[in-house]
Amino acid sequence: MKCEVCTELLEEYLDGELAPQDREQVDAHLIACIECSEDFATLTAEQEIFARYDREIEVPPFLWTRVAAHTAPAPKRRWLPNLFTKPASAIAVLLLAIAIGAIYFFSRPKPSDPKLTTTRPSNIQAPNPSSQSVQSVVKKPRKARLRVKPRTVIDQSDVLSSDLAYLDADEQDTAKHIEQSKILLRSIKNVQISDSDDEIDVTYDKALSRRLLNENVVLRRDAEMKAKFPTKTLLADLEPFLIDIANLPDRARPQDVREIKERVQKTEIVAALLDYQDRGANNR
Amino acid sequence: MNTSADLVTRVCQGDADAFRLIFERYSRPVISFIYDMVNDRALAEELTQETFVRAFRAIHTMRAETKLSTWLFGIARNVARESLRARARANNHVDLADKSVMDLSDDKPVPVEGLLSKELNDLIRRSLAALDEDKRLVFTLKVLHQCSYEEIAAITGFSLAKLKTDLHRARAEMRKKISPYAGVGYEV
Repeated sequence: MKCEVCTELLEEYLDGELAPQDREQVDAHLIACIECSEDFATLTAEQEIFARYDREIEVPPFLWTRVAAHTAPAPKRRWLPNLFTKPASAIAVLLLAIAIGAIYFFSRPKPSDPKLTTTRPSNIQAPNPSSQSVQSVVKKPRKARLRVKPRTVIDQSDVLSSDLAYLDADEQDTAKHIEQSKILLRSIKNVQISDSDDEIDVTYDKALSRRLLNENVVLRRDAEMKAKFPTKTLLADLEPFLIDIANLPDRARPQDVREIKERVQKTEIVAALLDYQDRGANNR
Repeated sequence: MNTSADLVTRVCQGDADAFRLIFERYSRPVISFIYDMVNDRALAEELTQETFVRAFRAIHTMRAETKLSTWLFGIARNVARESLRARARANNHVDLADKSVMDLSDDKPVPVEGLLSKELNDLIRRSLAALDEDKRLVFTLKVLHQCSYEEIAAITGFSLAKLKTDLHRARAEMRKKISPYAGVGYEV
């Protein structure tokens, strides 16, 4: 392979998008050509810089509450308010109420207390539970139906230890990374695999693992350079899991996922990540 | 396992908790992606809300073979694009021509290592904003969100040739911006 061809293919090679045959040729060329391998190292270094990009943006807990307010299923309508959605129905109910009111008015016994008759205007009926309920239906403006709000449990899963504020930037990066890796591995550890599953959709876990893998490489090197050996060891232990998850196909075979799950359980990597978090920054 | 396909089915059957799980799973990548596109924190939150509300209303139209993440990113991309265009119309010029965005001197002195991380983040953010929309879109999806070319083509509707060209040019522009930082504290 000529250097010009290799240079053209390098970005796709880095992106893992080359066909196997081209990839093998680039592999072979990079071993032999110092200039192209330096170009590739530059590309990889750039990739690492972008992998460290921290937007410092989190999902605020109120965001779900806002989304839920727009996506909550509408409560079932009662028949009575339905009557008011069509003018004809409303008129019919109004006439019925007037008729009931009139029948009651002319058929009721005369009040024995004359004071009552003089103080109450003739067009107002005596309070009566049955007529009152009909009147309330007719006269009261329809109240806005109360929406049944879904559970608004505040999602604190993104909130890391309060100690985070006291960590330096590198340690904050590592702490975030460890937290996200722990969530990923727990999700794999808790996966329910049934014998009837033909394949398991691991799209999300895979994408997350790819991102964490990039971070992991950078953080592990940093830890090594700064002689933070417990951190370096933990990240080195974590890396094979991230590689394996990142390399799963989007729809993985159950046995592949089961193998990773069993390794997560056996090696107690999740416990090691938890232990790292518990020990806090000062002991690292 | 609550696979994405299971969750979609459950939402279509009226299970409100399933949509919450979808939100928990995808809200972080979606808000990051939108922030990369619009470069405004409050707007990114608002557009993320809009993305999920639209997703909820249209989820029954999602085809079985479509990946949920790709579908959500597609909606997010449309929401972000509409917002960018509305903003451009309102300002009667494209915001990205803003001097503060474009003022990315390549001759800046290399910062001390303690400031590297913060400055570099800021530089990447401003450099992204300076890319034109299509380049920013493919660069964000590939380099920052590790989407495959196939996924990017599905999200953007771009041909493979266009997305490769845009990605290559975006990388070249970003390389130019971050070059003062390459090699400081990193193995290059």
